[in-house]
Amino acid sequence: MSPTLRNTLRNVAAVARREFVFRGRTRTFRITTALLVFVGLALALSPVIIRFFDRGSTGDRIEVVVGTSAPSMNVPLTLGALLNAPALGSGSSGGSGSSGGTSPDYRVESSDDLATARKHVVEGSSIAVLALDRTSSGDLAFVLYSKDGPIARSSLVIQQAVSAIAIQDRLTRLGVPLVDQATIFAPASFELRQADPNASSDRPATTEAFVGTFAVGFALSILLFMAIILYGQWVAFSVAEEKNSRVMEVVLAAATPFQLLAGKVIGVGGLALVQYVIVLIPAVLGILLQGQIASILFGGGAAAVGLPGGISIGMLAVFGVMFVLGFALYSVLYAGAASLVSRQEDVNQIVAPLTLISVGGYLVATYSSTGLIPIDSPLVVIMSFIPFFSPYLMLARLGQGAATPLDVGIAVLLLIAFIPIALWVAARLYRSGVLMYGQRPTPRTLFRALRGQ
Amino acid sequence: MALVLDGLTKRFGPITALDGISFRVERGSVFGFLGANGAGKTTTMRIILDILRPDSGTATWDGTPTTDVPRRTWGYLPEERGLYPRLEVLEQLVFFASLYAIPRREAAARARDWLARFRISDYEKRRAEELSKGNQQKVQLIAAILHQPEVVIMDEPFVGLDPVNVSLLKEAFEEMRSRGTTLVFSTHQMEMVEELCEAVAIIDHGRLVLGGPIRDVKRSSGRQVVRLAVEGDMALPWLADLDGVSVRRPGQDFVELDVDARHDPREVLTAAIAHGERVTQFLIADPSIEQIFIDRVGRPPSDDHHLATVAADAGGTGAPGSAGGGTGVEPTGNPG
Repeated sequence: MSPTLRNTLRNVAAVARREFVFRGRTRTFRITTALLVFVGLALALSPVIIRFFDRGSTGDRIEVVVGTSAPSMNVPLTLGALLNAPALGSGSSGGSGSSGGTSPDYRVESSDDLATARKHVVEGSSIAVLALDRTSSGDLAFVLYSKDGPIARSSLVIQQAVSAIAIQDRLTRLGVPLVDQATIFAPASFELRQADPNASSDRPATTEAFVGTFAVGFALSILLFMAIILYGQWVAFSVAEEKNSRVMEVVLAAATPFQLLAGKVIGVGGLALVQYVIVLIPAVLGILLQGQIASILFGGGAAAVGLPGGISIGMLAVFGVMFVLGFALYSVLYAGAASLVSRQEDVNQIVAPLTLISVGGYLVATYSSTGLIPIDSPLVVIMSFIPFFSPYLMLARLGQGAATPLDVGIAVLLLIAFIPIALWVAARLYRSGVLMYGQRPTPRTLFRALRGQ
Repeated sequence: MALVLDGLTKRFGPITALDGISFRVERGSVFGFLGANGAGKTTTMRIILDILRPDSGTATWDGTPTTDVPRRTWGYLPEERGLYPRLEVLEQLVFFASLYAIPRREAAARARDWLARFRISDYEKRRAEELSKGNQQKVQLIAAILHQPEVVIMDEPFVGLDPVNVSLLKEAFEEMRSRGTTLVFSTHQMEMVEELCEAVAIIDHGRLVLGGPIRDVKRSSGRQVVRLAVEGDMALPWLADLDGVSVRRPGQDFVELDVDARHDPREVLTAAIAHGERVTQFLIADPSIEQIFIDRVGRPPSDDHHLATVAADAGGTGAPGSAGGGTGVEPTGNPG
């Protein structure tokens, strides 16, 4: 190793060490770590947690007032069966389960007094009252007393259920036996398939699976965005603090701007990575053990508890890589920009353009995760390879199974190739910026700084 | 074996901060760097340390461009003192030393040693922001010399120190010098220069006004100073008739006279005796550096500490933000 290289590595390490140790000891770091561990664990165990809070509930109460309508079946029982069937009021469990540990969404009870039942709705102990009557033509007529509007989910589901009850009542009056009615109401076979025969097959097939990956992609985008902004600002503030306390000049006499910059980014980045691992370990354990945890909480074998699709370990790995690279890119430029201002108050202002770029990538990623922008639109695909946006968008595409490992690999390589360019630009800005006090950083001064004047 | 600056020029936009500065600092010497605020001292130091690059000209240490000299050659005490406000003193010093490849344990031992010598051992676990200005400055100086550099460059090291600390600093100077360390410092306290320096450079508006060993500088000034005291009346009206002699400082204790280089100072003594004065003191001295500075620059070096005379100095001195990235060079000339 040449002496120059050794010297460079040594200084980078010294700067990184100070940054790492000093920031790691701050209270801010400890609090954010604790908070993130909590969030990570909650995210990993979200299916179990949702189930847990759902378990105790016996469903929303709906009261039925039959009155003098004399229907041909037990209306509360039938309504309850229809509302809690998976096809209509989809339960919190995925897949097949109308059986097992699923708790009912609705609880239907009979009532004699309409006035009392309506009072229950007003008080909030019931969500609705369904009153039955007969029209002059002899059909069943229904009135729903509810606080919800006509397009509320409960209203729609109940409306769907009562038409089935009305038809059942008509069939009985026409003399169709109840046994035959069961076959009439059996659900039809229905399946959703990709229109494109070449489309990748791992797109989520069911609604629950889709919601699961969407939620994960969404949550990871938010986390990535927050992490890049948070840690990037640590670097920016660290630069501004050194400049503000004028310690910069002492350090610059000993180390080059490049060494300082690289040391800072590595120090803060290393700390961020440590934090990430601290957060990751309980989260991964949570994912791996969520079946067991669920079985302890709800009883029964681990496999028997149906849980919706959640975060995968592969996604977490890509998240880690994208986080490190995205952070490196943004924080290097944050540092370069922050070196141009004299006071810490001005840091946010000077890094605003970079933050805006970051927000842009983040917004497109979340929009494409939620389906507002199609995930395979050219905008999303192209942006998912551009270094500033790729961390967010590749993650979003991957979350929905719309990116191949090759895509991810190319995006990662492009990011890695771009970081030295950013480092060069930032070191240039830094060299001229750190000794610039009290001047407004105009585009002209930026340009001059880049040319090294 | 010397630090040699040759034709250093540096511009910041329309302002010329350095305009062809050349001088030479011998290895192992103590060198004073004089100039008013904004004269270009800080810019020159930053160029030596490769914090700034000159537009033209070279700086070399023992023949090697300073950009290629290992960083540990230099120790630097900037004019704007800077420490990490929330870092403990000892940690701070160990960090700075680690940038010069001093192992942590070794650095801590040396730091404790220096802290003790500067009588601030009690503060080793304190955060820098809790220290008084004077103590911060001492910590800053230790940071500059902990790695035992060959050359220590100090920007106004005596400013802000009380007399006790000034003498502590002088002792440290003496010790470093005895080890062969080259010391370069800027100041506008001329008595420090007279007391400590072997050679000086006086710069003004980015140009070298005068430079070299102190004795040469004093001789080249073309001035001789005579101190005269007599019994009785000190008015001495006959002095006005003497050719090439002017009163610099009248006084009841003694008068100080400037004697033109073409005249022998002893003519004053002859004349005094001829006028029947009873001479109690007669002394021939070199002019002080301060006098030379005033002669050449047109105002005292510490003029910035006084209110400017409006007619002579409007818009001239006292430029705010003279530390401003070396750009605080006075744009206007100063009559003098």
